[in-house]
Amino acid sequence: MDPLATQHAVEAGSKYQDLAWMVLASPLICGAGSWFLARRIRGLTAGFNIAGVVISFILGLILLGISGDHPLAATAFHWLPIPGADFTLGLQVDRLSALMTLVVTTVATLVMIYSTAYMHEDASFSRFFCTLSLFVFSMLGIVLADNLVMIFIFWELVGVSSYLLIGFWHERPAAGDAAKKAFLTNRIGDFGFLLGILIIWGATGTVNIAELSAKFGANPGLLGSMAGVAGLLVFMGAMGKSAQFPLHVWLPDAMEGPTPVSALIHAATMVAAGVYMLCRVFFIYTAQPGWPVPLEFLGNLGAGSIIGCIGGFTALLAALIAVQQNDIKRILAYSTLSQLGYMVMAVGLGAQLGTPASGMYHLVTHAFFKAMLFLGAGSVIHACHHEQDIWKMGGLRTKMPKTFWTFLIGTAALAGLPPFSGFYSKDEVLVTALQVNPILFVVAVLVAILTTFYMCRLVLVAFFGEARSDSASHAHESPGSMTFPLLVLAVPSVAIAWIPLGEFISGAFGGHGHGHGHAAVAAGEKHAVGLMPLIDNLSTGINEALFGPFNHNALAATMGLFAVLLGSSLAWTLYGKAASDPLPGILGGWARLLKGRFYFDEIYSGVIIPLHDCAAAVTDWADRWLVSGLGIRGLHGSVELVGRALRLVQSGNLQTYTFLFAAGLAVVAWFTLR
Amino acid sequence: MSLTSTLLMTPFLTALLVLLVPGNYRFVVRCLALLGSLVTAILGVVLFLKFDPTGAPYQFEGLSSWVSSSVFRLNYHVGVDGIAAAMLLVTSLVGFAAVAVSWDIDKQTKLFLILLLVMIGGALGAFASLDLFFFYFFNELALVPTFIMIGVWGVGEERTYAAYKITMYLTAGAMVALIGLIALYTLSGANTLDIVELQKHLAKTPLSSSAQAFIFPCLLFGFGTLVGLFPFHSWAPQGYGCAPSATAMMHAGILKKAGLFALLRVALPMMPEGVARWMPVLAILCVGNLLYCGFVAMRQRDLNLLIGNSSLAHMGFAFLGIASVTVVGLTGAVLVMVSHALLAALSFALSAWIRHQTGTLEIAKMGGLLKRMPFIGSVLTLCFLAGCGVPGFANFAGELAVMFGAWKGLPWIVVVAAWGGLVIGGVYMLRALRTILHGNAGVMLPSLIDAPTAWRKFPFVLLAAGLLLFGIFPNALTRRILPAVTRVAELARPAAVPAATAAPVTAAAVVTPATPASN
Repeated sequence: MDPLATQHAVEAGSKYQDLAWMVLASPLICGAGSWFLARRIRGLTAGFNIAGVVISFILGLILLGISGDHPLAATAFHWLPIPGADFTLGLQVDRLSALMTLVVTTVATLVMIYSTAYMHEDASFSRFFCTLSLFVFSMLGIVLADNLVMIFIFWELVGVSSYLLIGFWHERPAAGDAAKKAFLTNRIGDFGFLLGILIIWGATGTVNIAELSAKFGANPGLLGSMAGVAGLLVFMGAMGKSAQFPLHVWLPDAMEGPTPVSALIHAATMVAAGVYMLCRVFFIYTAQPGWPVPLEFLGNLGAGSIIGCIGGFTALLAALIAVQQNDIKRILAYSTLSQLGYMVMAVGLGAQLGTPASGMYHLVTHAFFKAMLFLGAGSVIHACHHEQDIWKMGGLRTKMPKTFWTFLIGTAALAGLPPFSGFYSKDEVLVTALQVNPILFVVAVLVAILTTFYMCRLVLVAFFGEARSDSASHAHESPGSMTFPLLVLAVPSVAIAWIPLGEFISGAFGGHGHGHGHAAVAAGEKHAVGLMPLIDNLSTGINEALFGPFNHNALAATMGLFAVLLGSSLAWTLYGKAASDPLPGILGGWARLLKGRFYFDEIYSGVIIPLHDCAAAVTDWADRWLVSGLGIRGLHGSVELVGRALRLVQSGNLQTYTFLFAAGLAVVAWFTLR
Repeated sequence: MSLTSTLLMTPFLTALLVLLVPGNYRFVVRCLALLGSLVTAILGVVLFLKFDPTGAPYQFEGLSSWVSSSVFRLNYHVGVDGIAAAMLLVTSLVGFAAVAVSWDIDKQTKLFLILLLVMIGGALGAFASLDLFFFYFFNELALVPTFIMIGVWGVGEERTYAAYKITMYLTAGAMVALIGLIALYTLSGANTLDIVELQKHLAKTPLSSSAQAFIFPCLLFGFGTLVGLFPFHSWAPQGYGCAPSATAMMHAGILKKAGLFALLRVALPMMPEGVARWMPVLAILCVGNLLYCGFVAMRQRDLNLLIGNSSLAHMGFAFLGIASVTVVGLTGAVLVMVSHALLAALSFALSAWIRHQTGTLEIAKMGGLLKRMPFIGSVLTLCFLAGCGVPGFANFAGELAVMFGAWKGLPWIVVVAAWGGLVIGGVYMLRALRTILHGNAGVMLPSLIDAPTAWRKFPFVLLAAGLLLFGIFPNALTRRILPAVTRVAELARPAAVPAATAAPVTAAAVVTPATPASN
């Protein structure tokens, strides 16, 4: 960056840093304000909280316009200033964080509007909204943080808000269990994340992302033999939040929370935080690979490749499980898992290409259409009186047209049908896989087929055919405040890829993109793609964006399209007219395995938890019987025994005393006279 | 009279006043005790705010000669540095909260409150003393009421045994520490127990190696026992389990910290050779607190035993910070001391309320309390989340600083600490929350009362607000404690301190300890 640009950045920084802080603080201030001022008035509570998020959205838009290519750093607040480890809270606004801010606040605003209707009858209406605001605040903290410790702080806080929201209906035992499980599973991931931060801090002496990025740029071998371990440990954090195998078990259970929560936290934003964080600290994965002595056999294999494999495996695993689920929210939850696996795979494999852009691209498009699908599912559940089994629905197409059409758009986007947004981002992921690891490319195509299959199954069973229960036959369209967010979300789900979004994202990572807009935009221009040029290029961009994939990498695009056609035709054959699920009959025992989710929950609760409990039992036994028992009671007992023995001597009998006195005298005399 | 003396005399004077009121005027007795502790709390806050981090090392000093002969000199000498200012603040706040939650004590109200006030005064005196004799005296003065209160006002069938056990342990610990202090007095040759003078003297003529080798472990294990250092810990959970709420709050919250405070005041700065020799041992023993006590906590079925064991696990973090002997780690240890004082007090206050309402402390017998007692349930949620180290509460800041401070010297212990704090701590805290608060309320008795008035809510709000305040602004604490901590670190590790504050050494040197030593 030339000096003039640096100066510009500094000036912009000093001018707009308050703005950046307001983006972060607005949901918190408005949420707290609504709790203390307007807790008892529902309309006002909702208004306050929605206003808080909308303000963040507007300010985020302004920041995106201002920051352009010049990252804007907001002044740090010295949170824990100790010489040697000065922990500050500071913000870093650049393309990546500004984009993510917009995604989070857009979805959050719409989800809150939706919730005014969905949660209307709930007695804890204001608690719900305030916790949502707390979540948005924490999430924006992760997005905007300029150092790893601050990310960790807000990382934990989204965990807490997720805990509070999953367990929102705390009188339901299942909700309490799910909340606990989500928090604890995430804690295992956070354990690794914290150690990863410690290793990086120990080696470099800083946790600031910009400084680290510069240091890694200057010396890729900075972490030496710990590079791989540090990368994997940091990834453990993402493994927890983004629910990657083997820490994936919490996400499906988290569906016990209210549906708007599932849409916002467990589909669009929080679960994507893991992927976002990997993009934020991507320099660790492009650094020179290295392993300590016991792991030396891994050689030149980077942490990124391992992460890519874990992502691909999670994607496949979850897609398989989704095929045999019957609860509408669970199907979507496994689909989220699977898509997160896609993103993680793309980011991990991106390490060899030098950019995580394709994963981040898929994150953005997925956030919109998956939030829409969840809100659509919520609308269906609301209409069917809290019935969640798709086999007890049916025929909803005519009764709830708005929900149906938006759900269909979401399905098309998720399946990856052109020209819906999902097609383009999924294509990027497929291209990344094809370039780096052909095996994972095959896995990714397989996942795409399965995705289309289970989504078409869901739509065909729930919306087509005849109503299979009373609640389904009496269903009617949800109120306007619930369908409005669906309609709004349909716009980006269809069209967000039509603007050169992929270009914009790869620009955020220094323009090393291999996006489908690559060919059209001249190499020199690429670096200058800010918001304004982006709009200027809109018309050429749309043209290029729509047909880009086929020009850029025809194999990947064709395979993507083929997957959609195969998956949907399979689903149509099996479920077009089905009254019950024909698949168990075809697959036999495999279907049971899929339906039982490969029995991961059973394995974990049968092995890992008893291991801890066993250790606890052993230590407790030792504490009770050895430390307190032998030690204390033993001491107690022996003192008492001595006391009892001595008491026998104190008999009060004069003859005994005389005898003892004489005996003592004799002993003393013997010693002195011998 | 200096501010410090005024602060520590207030509870004693209040106790005297209460003594003059006839015991059957319970309301007057209660109001008087509450007023006295309120004044103490206000003075504590004033002292904390007026403490000037850039000023003299010891401020608000008071000094008067007590015994002065050529062979033996004793001074009443009080004064505060940053660490003491922070501890006095939380002591006065917890003391006020403890008096407030004792409002319901009906059995011998007057005697109970007098003992409680003596306890508060003794604790304040221990933290304010700059003379080892008075430190020891005040500490014992605060401990004695504990035994009586557990025996007389305690709960549970095992309370006599618990009182016996706690007395035996703490007396033994105090005796060992006393041996160390007497040896320090005789072997230093300074002919004084005044901490400031001793430090000056020892800076010029350090203790001989053999003296340090004898005195340091006496202090470490003597004071360590008062804190609940593994394996001398088993008095704590049971003692707290049977203690009346105010006693448990004061003891677990405040008196336990006197041991850590003494290590920071006496053992570390006066005996660098002892530090070098014994800190590795302490680091290993921390694992016992962090992991072993955590596992034991997982098994507890009784709420008080759970809180007691978890508080031992938290003490592991304080010990780890001390064992690191870095500025960052020691600062973290002090933050843990302060935050845990508020946390432990809040936990025991809540558990006492719950026991009072449900008639049981057995976790399995509870359920659905959040619905029945929304206020108490919400505060319990906050409290337990703070207990498993969630950011936003003061504990997180302390634990984070400890882990960063100890990382370079003791990486494997930090791994254990992170597992103990993040995962095991999470498991037992959240299991308890799930069983106590969530689920169906059907099984519980019908007559559960949530804290009914703002006044009954106040002690809980005060302690929770303290946790939040210092969690969001830990710099308010660190600003004041850093000068004192830096002095301790410099004296304890004369050679190593520049390395700890200077820029980190090369990557290879830092990374090597993290790789397994065994090949």
